[in-house]
Amino acid sequence: MSIGTEITGGSAPEPTMEVAIKIWRYDSQTGERALKLYEVEAPEWACLLDVLDIIKDRVDGTLAYRKSCRMMICGSCGMRMDGGAVLACKERMKPIVDRGHVPVISAMGNMPIVKDLVVDMDPFWSKIRAMKPWLQPGYQEPPEREYLASQEQMNPIHKEALCIMCGCCVSECNSMESDPDFLGPAALAKGFRFVGDPRDGADIERLNEYNSEHGIWDCTRCYFCNERCPKGVDPRDAIAKLGAESVRQGIDHDLGAKHAKWFVTSTKTTGWLRETELVPKTQGIVSAIKQTKFALGLARRGKVPLPFPPHVAEEVREARALHDLLKEQNRRGAAGIVQGERGLARIERTDEGGAKRDIAEITPGEEPAAAGS
Amino acid sequence: MEAKHDVLVVGAGCAGMRAAIAAHDIGADVALISKIHPVRSHSGAAEGGINAALGNASEDDPEKHAFDTVKGSDFLGDQDAIEILCEAAPEDVYELERWGAIFSRTEDGRIAQRPFGAAGEPRTAYAADITGHVLVHVLYEQVMKREIPAYEEFFAWQLVIDDGRCQGVIAWDLLNGGLKSLGAKTVILATGGAGRLYSGTTNAYACTGDGMAMALRVGVPLKDMEMMQFHPTTLAPTGVLITEGCRGEGAYLLNSEGKRFLERYAPNAMELASRDVISRAEQTEIDEGRGVDGNVLLDLRHLGADRIHERLHGTRELSMVFAGVDPINEPIPVRPGAHYHMGGVDTDVWGKTSLEGLYAAGECACVSVHGANRLGGNALMETITFGRRAGAHAAEWALANTTVEVPPSVEADAERELRHLLDRADGERPWAIRDELARTMHENFGVFRREQLMRGQGDIVAGLRERYQRVVVDDKGNVFNNDLTQALELGFLLELADCMIVSGLARKESRGAHARPYDFPERDDENYMRHTLVAWADDRPRVDWTPVTVTKWQPQERTY
Repeated sequence: MSIGTEITGGSAPEPTMEVAIKIWRYDSQTGERALKLYEVEAPEWACLLDVLDIIKDRVDGTLAYRKSCRMMICGSCGMRMDGGAVLACKERMKPIVDRGHVPVISAMGNMPIVKDLVVDMDPFWSKIRAMKPWLQPGYQEPPEREYLASQEQMNPIHKEALCIMCGCCVSECNSMESDPDFLGPAALAKGFRFVGDPRDGADIERLNEYNSEHGIWDCTRCYFCNERCPKGVDPRDAIAKLGAESVRQGIDHDLGAKHAKWFVTSTKTTGWLRETELVPKTQGIVSAIKQTKFALGLARRGKVPLPFPPHVAEEVREARALHDLLKEQNRRGAAGIVQGERGLARIERTDEGGAKRDIAEITPGEEPAAAGS
Repeated sequence: MEAKHDVLVVGAGCAGMRAAIAAHDIGADVALISKIHPVRSHSGAAEGGINAALGNASEDDPEKHAFDTVKGSDFLGDQDAIEILCEAAPEDVYELERWGAIFSRTEDGRIAQRPFGAAGEPRTAYAADITGHVLVHVLYEQVMKREIPAYEEFFAWQLVIDDGRCQGVIAWDLLNGGLKSLGAKTVILATGGAGRLYSGTTNAYACTGDGMAMALRVGVPLKDMEMMQFHPTTLAPTGVLITEGCRGEGAYLLNSEGKRFLERYAPNAMELASRDVISRAEQTEIDEGRGVDGNVLLDLRHLGADRIHERLHGTRELSMVFAGVDPINEPIPVRPGAHYHMGGVDTDVWGKTSLEGLYAAGECACVSVHGANRLGGNALMETITFGRRAGAHAAEWALANTTVEVPPSVEADAERELRHLLDRADGERPWAIRDELARTMHENFGVFRREQLMRGQGDIVAGLRERYQRVVVDDKGNVFNNDLTQALELGFLLELADCMIVSGLARKESRGAHARPYDFPERDDENYMRHTLVAWADDRPRVDWTPVTVTKWQPQERTY
């Protein structure tokens, strides 16, 4: 099928390309799903959203998807391309067409499909609301003018403030796939936006709530949310910051917190993980005894080292020095993970002319620029 | 009637949410209704900032802000409304900060302010280059805190009029299908602009002038509809916005010769002249052959990578994704694009329209604080201050008046009208009409206007309206049928285009965004320092006039 296009108007005919995409259609009345191929002519500058528009306008008006700003700020057009969540307005089609690839477009994951590429975001928003996502001022007297806060104090929540609530992170969340009640990356990033705000006074209350079942420790650290966030929010980093803040504030009743704490103690003392002690330290003695049979089975098959004598890594001094360094720099809690303003710079050009986020400029544990000499 | 409320706010961007919060805080039962989720609203795409004389970056006061706004409006703004805005602005911004808005900060921890076009002081409070995004989210946080109900993905289509006043809204429920009527003692329109009338526009797909058209259809006049602002820095081909904040931070505009061409047009203010002035300068450079592929160049390179990372991160991202240009290394090609409607539903300084029970606030309203040209940073401020005022007034009125009636005949009429469209099996799909409307508006009712082209555009729109009578909707279903709502939006746009053209033809002068260099190159205060007022009668727009309110500032020559 060849369809002419005059999307932008103007007198000079603009270069066009033949685009082929497959879309998983979903008919909510019959419950039927079908993968359909569409071939249209589109301007060379077209992004995925423009191609969907051409299909809806000229091929099949029943195709359903959300859109609004087409400039990566409203968060409407989250969907999956070849199995991974994207913003349709951000994905340029030219490099894909040049490769001869026919991408498969489908609705986001972890949310019920309403029709075609439209998902029901009610569960998403109820988790956002569960975070009590509004400022609870920590000051007694409201300031006459604005609350005074330095840029440095505000920087730790800059990345979280970029969140457009598109749902791409939630779509890809592995923990949510196994536990639909997991608060998830978007809500927890919103949570850190308040915990990390110097003006908010409810951080203990918030951390206690976020530490409960389905909370921060249920994250499996797969990093898919960071990978798929179209805005560089890095929700997994926000979850790590919430975890670190919780431990710093002594909110460590959750098994996840205990588990993390034991990792720290174990690596500090021996340079690696003492797995045989991990279960009693995390889950307690009773639970550990109950699992003795399982542990013995593992030991018989050589899956865990013998606890005695304690196995110490050759270069254990390196691990200890690292701990000392972090202590010396007083980088406890979220401060140890914050990337702040520098995090915003993480966008680089691709060879194909588009833009993508590059790897972190500062990895956790590395000296941040501002804290140097 | 599905439900009824004291106050119903149509549209949930900055103006709508601020209005709902104000109504709630007074004690009214208020609900929001929006065709997209509140945080998807186009207020979130505002980048550069919000103007208030906080005095954090220099000595400033509301009177200076008011004068800059009056002059920027080319003396078409109503000075009483402008004074209200500028007086209220600082406290309204502090309130947003106390609610949690994440503003950029000065060295001493105050809200940072940057210079903006045609402003005598650095007055634009900002959050890097995502100010609108930050404000939409903080307002939605406050809406969630108050548990204000929102009819999300409800497409408002008609206003309910009974007993001579507005008593609700008839809407299409996108998720479940069907027309739903919602009763209310007062209705506040906060539906934003109509940038989708143009092919190159900064506006979202949602900006289809719904509130203006709904008001027009029940006899409420629209004011200054010819005044469409063209933003000087938008990306080809679709018009994605590059913030004025770039120039506020010191960026240059260059022509193909590499010259800062504003020397010729605004030698004092240069890149920080008013938007109408710069858009005309750019268009002149492009028309006279000193453009670069239909663009001029916005050069940020001398600002340095650090400043760009810190304050213009979003701009860099947009340039890289949509233009393939990294502004750290290369200038950004930009051109004027339709951006903001100074005109809109005629209201008084409380957002009240001529119809009892109906209010309007934000871009869909014309109070008028922007007159013939809006200053950058004044739109967000208007949404907050006049959203708050409209919400408060509508709530007070609603609490003092007790009945709501949506007559069954109104529902039946709407249902019949909708069926008429949905049942049509053969005809033209809407897209060609929509694209032709946008392309021709851009060509014939753009930065510069000619009598003949405007008249020709009137004929074109008449032809498109004729074709629209036979438009066909593919989707006949009930679940997320935005094929239907997009067709209804096109109906709104066509009527608004007509209103703009008749208003533009009536204004035989050049003022602000309405530039007629070929026949009426000068401003004519004697005959045209007054607002156009267009009302719908016998299926066509009729122009009338209403005076400009002058308090302190007599018109003077406007140079930058």
